[in-house]
Amino acid sequence: MSEGGRRRDVIACCLRVVALLGLAAGAGAALAPPLPDDLLAQLRREGVLRWGADQEGGGPFVYPREDDPDTVTGFEVEIAEALAARLGVVARFTQGQWDRLPDMLRTRKIHVVLNGYELTEPRRQVMLASRPYYVYGLQLLVRSDDAGLRSWDDLLRPRAGSPRRVGVLTGSAADDYASEHCAAVCEVVRYDGNTDAMREVETGKLDATLQDTPIASFYASRFPGLRPLGEPVAPGTYVMYVAAGETALHAALDEALAGLIRDGGLEAILRRYGLWNAQQEQLAAGGATGELRAVSPGGPAFVTLGERPRGWAVVRDYGGVLLRSAGLTVVLAVLSFPLAIALGLLVALGRLYGSRWLRWPLAAYVELLRGTPLMLQLYCVFFLLPEVGINVPAFWTAVLGLAINYSAYEAEIYRAGLQAVPPGQMEAALALGMSRGQALRRIVVPQAVRIVIPPVVNDFIALFKDTSVCSVVTLVELTKRFSVLSMSTQATVELMLLTAALYMAMSYPLARLARRIETHLDRGGAQGTGGSSARGGSGGGIDGGTRASSKTSGQEAPA
Amino acid sequence: MITVQGLAKRHGELPVLEGIDLEVAEGAVEAIIGPSGGGKSTLLRCLNGLERFEAGEVRIGALRLTPHTSPRRDAALLRQVRRQLGFVFQQFQLFPHLSVLGNLVEAPMHVLGLSRDEAEARARALLERVSLSSKADARPHQLSGGQQQRVAIARTLAMQPRAILFDEPTSSLDPAMAADVLALMAELARDGQTMLVVTHSMHFARQVASRVHVVVQGRIVESGPPEAVLEAPQQAATQRFLRQVV
Repeated sequence: MSEGGRRRDVIACCLRVVALLGLAAGAGAALAPPLPDDLLAQLRREGVLRWGADQEGGGPFVYPREDDPDTVTGFEVEIAEALAARLGVVARFTQGQWDRLPDMLRTRKIHVVLNGYELTEPRRQVMLASRPYYVYGLQLLVRSDDAGLRSWDDLLRPRAGSPRRVGVLTGSAADDYASEHCAAVCEVVRYDGNTDAMREVETGKLDATLQDTPIASFYASRFPGLRPLGEPVAPGTYVMYVAAGETALHAALDEALAGLIRDGGLEAILRRYGLWNAQQEQLAAGGATGELRAVSPGGPAFVTLGERPRGWAVVRDYGGVLLRSAGLTVVLAVLSFPLAIALGLLVALGRLYGSRWLRWPLAAYVELLRGTPLMLQLYCVFFLLPEVGINVPAFWTAVLGLAINYSAYEAEIYRAGLQAVPPGQMEAALALGMSRGQALRRIVVPQAVRIVIPPVVNDFIALFKDTSVCSVVTLVELTKRFSVLSMSTQATVELMLLTAALYMAMSYPLARLARRIETHLDRGGAQGTGGSSARGGSGGGIDGGTRASSKTSGQEAPA
Repeated sequence: MITVQGLAKRHGELPVLEGIDLEVAEGAVEAIIGPSGGGKSTLLRCLNGLERFEAGEVRIGALRLTPHTSPRRDAALLRQVRRQLGFVFQQFQLFPHLSVLGNLVEAPMHVLGLSRDEAEARARALLERVSLSSKADARPHQLSGGQQQRVAIARTLAMQPRAILFDEPTSSLDPAMAADVLALMAELARDGQTMLVVTHSMHFARQVASRVHVVVQGRIVESGPPEAVLEAPQQAATQRFLRQVV
C-alpha cells in the first residue's frame, strides 16, 4: 500500500526544505536525536510497543472496526499485537498521517512503522527495514461486463479515438508501474484514496485500475461489478521500519517476526483476512523471490467486509463516532481561539503603541505566520522541535499551532480596529489624567473590540474548519474521521452529508451569536464620537469640524 | 496659575507658534481669539502636554513643561498637569461605549480612586448643574451636540481641575445649542472657575472674559481687557481680524 496525493508530495517537498533550514539553524547538535536511551530498553521498561499507522489507509491493513468504529482492526493490527506479545509488551496503535510516519519514527513518537510500507531503496537509506511480513503484487481490475478488455495485451494495445483510462493511487507502486508501462497508450489517472479508483471503474469513468493485491481481494465484495484481469505483476514486499541507529530494537522486532513466521502465527493471521497465498511461503526465506502467481484465497477467510452500509444505517452506525470527533474539533477551536485573540490583541497593541524595538519583531511575527501555511507550522512544532529536545504532545501542538497562526490574523484585525477608534478618544482619556495604559484598556480597546466583532467571528468560523489540518499531527478530528470512515465503508455520500451537517451545526450558531452581539452593541451605540447631529452646524466658527479632526490627528505627543 | 514663557512650536520648518508669553491668574477667565490656522488650538494643546513644543516653557503651579518633556519618560508629570487642567474639545470626545453617567464616573474612579458611590454622587450633582439629569443612562449618540458638549464639560468638572482649557467648544454647534453651552460657561465663570477659552464667539469674549488675547500667525499680537481689544484695537492685525468676523 502506498498513499499520499500530489498535494502531499508538494507539501512534503516544502517540508524537507523547512526541515533543512531548521536543521541548519539548529546546528549540528540538533541533528542527533536527544534521546541517549536505547529505544528497546525504553520499550521494555514501559511495556508498550507504539506502532504507527494511518487508519485512513483502510482495510485490510488498519481500519475502524465495523462494530466499534472507535477502535481499529486489520491484519497489521493483529501482527503488531502478536509481535508485542513476543516481546512481552502491549501493542499500542498510534495514529499518524501515512506520509508522516517516518517523521514520527525519527522523533521517537513511535517505535515502528507497520503500515503497508514497501521495501524501497530510498527508505532503506534513512530507516532500518525489517524482514518482509507480506508479499504483494499489483492486480489489474476491470468491469466484469467490459468485453473489450480480456487481457493485459488488450489494455496495452492503442485504442482508436480516446485512450483508455487507468486509475491508480498517487505515489504508490501501482502509480510507478502504470506510469512506466501504460502511460504510452493509456491515460493514467491518480487518486488520493485507496478505493476511489475502484469506484470510478465500476461507474464507468475509468477502464481499469491497478491495485495492491491485499486491497484488490479485500474490497472485492464491495465492488461486485469488478473482476481481476490477468495475474498480479511487479511483486514487492511490505516491511516494518525502525529509526536509523536503533539496531537493538530492529533486531528484536526482526527476531519476533521470524518467530511469528516460523510457528505459523503470521500465516494464521493472513489466512483470516484472505491474504494467504503461495507467494507468502517466500516469507520464511526472508524475502520475495521468483515469479508471482495469481492470488487465490487460501483456506477459509474469517475476516471479511460486511455489506456496504447505506442511508440511515450509516447515520446510526457512524453518527456517534463522527459526533465524538466533532467534539475534538470543538475543543480544539474553543481552546485555541481565545488564546489567538489575546495574543493578537497584545501584538496589535505592541505594534501600534509599543516602542520602536518592539514594532519590528512584531511585524516580522505577523508576516511570518501569515505568510506560511498552518500545516507547516504544525509540522515544525510537532516534528522539528523534538530535534532540539522540545516535545509537545499532539493535542497541545494543535492548540498552540492554531492559536499562534490565528493570532497573526487577529493582530491585523485588531490593528485596524484600534486605528478606527478616533485619536481624539485617546486624547480625551489622557486629558482626564489617565495613563496610556488606562486609556488603552478602558477607552480605546473596548471600542476597538466592538468594531472588530464581525471579522473576528468570521475568523472563528474559519478556524473551526482549519482544525482539519491538525490530522497532520496525528489528531483524528472530524474531517480525518470522515476520510477514515469513508475509505473503509465506501458510504462516502452519507458520511459527507453527515460531516457537512456537523460542521454547519457548529458554525451556524456562532454566526447567529455574533449577529446578536452586533445588534446589541449597535443599540448600545458604539459609533460616532463627534456627534453627527452637530457636524452640520457651523456655529460661530470659521473652523469646520473637518479641520478640527485633522488637527487632533496631528503630531500629538501621546502617539 | 498658568504661565507661558517664550513658547515656540514648529511643524518641521513651518513655525506654528513663536514667542508666546501668557499668564492666567487663579480665578481669571481669558479668551483667545484670532483667525483660523493662527495656532490658537495648538497653544492650548501645548499647555496640557497633548503636543510638544520646541522652545520656552509652560508652568502650571509648581509643575514645569519644557521642550524636553517626553510623553513616555515624563508620563507621571503629564498626568499631574492634566489633573490640574481640564480640557474641553471642539468635538466633545465623549466615550461612545459608555453611558452619560459612565463618562462622568470613569476618570474619578480610575484616576482619583473614588468609590463608585462617591463618583456617582458627584456625577449626578454635575448632571443636575448642566441640566441633563434625565440623560444619565443615555448613550452619547442619543444626545444633541449641545447636550454632548455640556456632558463633556461636566465630565471635566468631575475631576475638579484648577483650570479648564476650552478648545473652540461651540464651533461644532448650531447657534441655539452654542448659546446653551456659552450660558453654562458664563455660569462657571461667575462661580470663579479659572478658564482659558479659545473661541470664535465675540459675544462670549466681550461679556465673560476678563482678558482677551489675539493670536495671529503664531504670535499674540494684542492682549488686554475685552472692551479695549475689541472696541479699540491697537494693532493692524487685530483690526483686520475683527473686520472679518463682525
